[in-house]
Amino acid sequence: MLSKVIAARIARLVATLFAVSLLTFLMVEQLPGDPILAILPPEALDDLENIERIRSELRLDDPVLTRYGRWVGNAMQGDLGKSYITDQPVSDAIKDRIPVTIELAFLATLIAALAAIPIGAFSAYHEGGRFDRIASAFTTTALSIPAFLAGIFFIWLFTLKFNWLPSSGWNRITDKGIVANLKTAILPAGALSLAALAINARLIRADMIGTLKEDYILSARAKGLRSRYILMRHALRPSSLTAITVFGLQFGGLIGGTVVIETVFALPGLGTRLISGIYQRDVMMIQGITLFIATVYVVVNLFVDLLYLLLDPRIRRQ
Amino acid sequence: MSKSKNITGSPDAKLKGNGRLSAVKEMPFFVKCALFWLVFIVSAAIYTRLDRLFGQALPLQDPFYQGFLFGGASPTEGPSLDHVLGTDILSRDNLSRLLHGAWVSLVVAITVVSFGIVFGGLLGAFVGYARGRWETLVMGIMDVVLAFPPLVLLLALVAIYKVRSLPIIALVFGILSIPTYVRIARASTLGVASREFVQAAEAIGTKRFWILFREIIPNILPSLFAYALINAGFVIVVEGTLSYLGLSVQIPEPTWGNMINEGRRDIRQTILPIFWPGLFLTLTVVSLNMLGDWFQQRVAIRSSAL
Repeated sequence: MLSKVIAARIARLVATLFAVSLLTFLMVEQLPGDPILAILPPEALDDLENIERIRSELRLDDPVLTRYGRWVGNAMQGDLGKSYITDQPVSDAIKDRIPVTIELAFLATLIAALAAIPIGAFSAYHEGGRFDRIASAFTTTALSIPAFLAGIFFIWLFTLKFNWLPSSGWNRITDKGIVANLKTAILPAGALSLAALAINARLIRADMIGTLKEDYILSARAKGLRSRYILMRHALRPSSLTAITVFGLQFGGLIGGTVVIETVFALPGLGTRLISGIYQRDVMMIQGITLFIATVYVVVNLFVDLLYLLLDPRIRRQ
Repeated sequence: MSKSKNITGSPDAKLKGNGRLSAVKEMPFFVKCALFWLVFIVSAAIYTRLDRLFGQALPLQDPFYQGFLFGGASPTEGPSLDHVLGTDILSRDNLSRLLHGAWVSLVVAITVVSFGIVFGGLLGAFVGYARGRWETLVMGIMDVVLAFPPLVLLLALVAIYKVRSLPIIALVFGILSIPTYVRIARASTLGVASREFVQAAEAIGTKRFWILFREIIPNILPSLFAYALINAGFVIVVEGTLSYLGLSVQIPEPTWGNMINEGRRDIRQTILPIFWPGLFLTLTVVSLNMLGDWFQQRVAIRSSAL
């Protein structure tokens, strides 16, 4: 039964990926203006013969479906084409920049998860109390502040006012070690995590308010266990399954969310490359990176769903 | 659970029967403040449009007037009587630009919400009630659109258009918002369709078309509205983000996002040109979220008492 469910999910994944790639290709295909205009310098545009030669060299004169087929076929072998502007293979650009994006998304997910658990748990424990009300004001604000605004505010506060952390640039773990790396990563990851943190804290709070009314919590209390112990050991456990699923789905979403934060902090990630591709109208770059991010997002979400199936005994037994 | 006393048999009796003023009275203080702020922003946006219509005859500074070119104000001035919130890096009046910028956020939010409720709501209610093949097809398409990370899809779509005018931006946002509304409408329709009053209508032989419009849609609207309030806040954030990246409505037209972007250049001297649009943006989104949360709680209480 379980294998059937998994097979169905994978079939849906393939269908989704097909649709995603077609959508990405057609979308960028609609770009007004000939890509040749972006490739050649203006003074070379008088030479019509030359234009036609380059066009057929790049095989831009094939029908749309032929080009789509070729693009997807190559993409499956890891070749997303070359940037028309810098001549850099798109897959190289992705390989070069993906570590920054993954690390940011991972750190943000981690911060959002770790900070949300105590906030959510204590809000639930003191439901309606002062801590709960302050926490609720905090989560509403954190949910409403755009990530880029939080990033700018962090730069102003921690770089310009206190001069604690750098406002831009990136230290690779492999070059400078983990401490130097975290110094450049913590502000963007923090700004990125705010909304997810608020959502997690609210979810955990709502979930635990329900759990705390259960009988086994009452019996644990009757046994005289300390309330912090009950909260973390007895009450948090059943909520953790939902929480893990949500964290996983957030990780996928945050990979897309890094786009803006990387720009604010001028980090050499995938997002800044996508944005510069958009500014330069670099068709291959936009297509390749969009397809890549969407694929990672879809695949991560599938894994999280499957993990949930495997973890939850109630679903597993069905 | 049900604290409200005036719940009657019909689920939307409260919405129609008691009028909207009593709803405002029941609001907690902070929700009232949120409503007040939203009314202020909407009237400000409309006021600036009227001002442009009358050729800047109304009392408000010109949002494009660069004082320093003509020996007036200087760039990044602090607050003064002439410029209540100071001037930006091109010595334009901050207050005026803030109020004019509200228009873009407002138009995008209203477009998204109406697209979502009208098209998404209708489609979701239809497939949720009709079920069968249509449901599979429509929900399959919606799943594909939702499979994209939203910001990346938006960036790719917006990149297509060289001329990023307000109608185009609003349209792209509006169309992209439809799938979530379809999902919510379908889910609530599934809940409503099995209720006794729908069965009763079916039993006396009412046409399914009329059941959809008379029984189902009125009852899924409250949950759609509750989502729409929160969604409007989210959309304003995303528009602000695109504006900040220079990929929304183009300068010199002020938006809160591009004001923040322009303010960044002088962040070492002063935070004020970022602070004001940031504050307006955040307050507006907080207000929408608070109002949405409050409305959602009311909807939940009402439908649980059905």
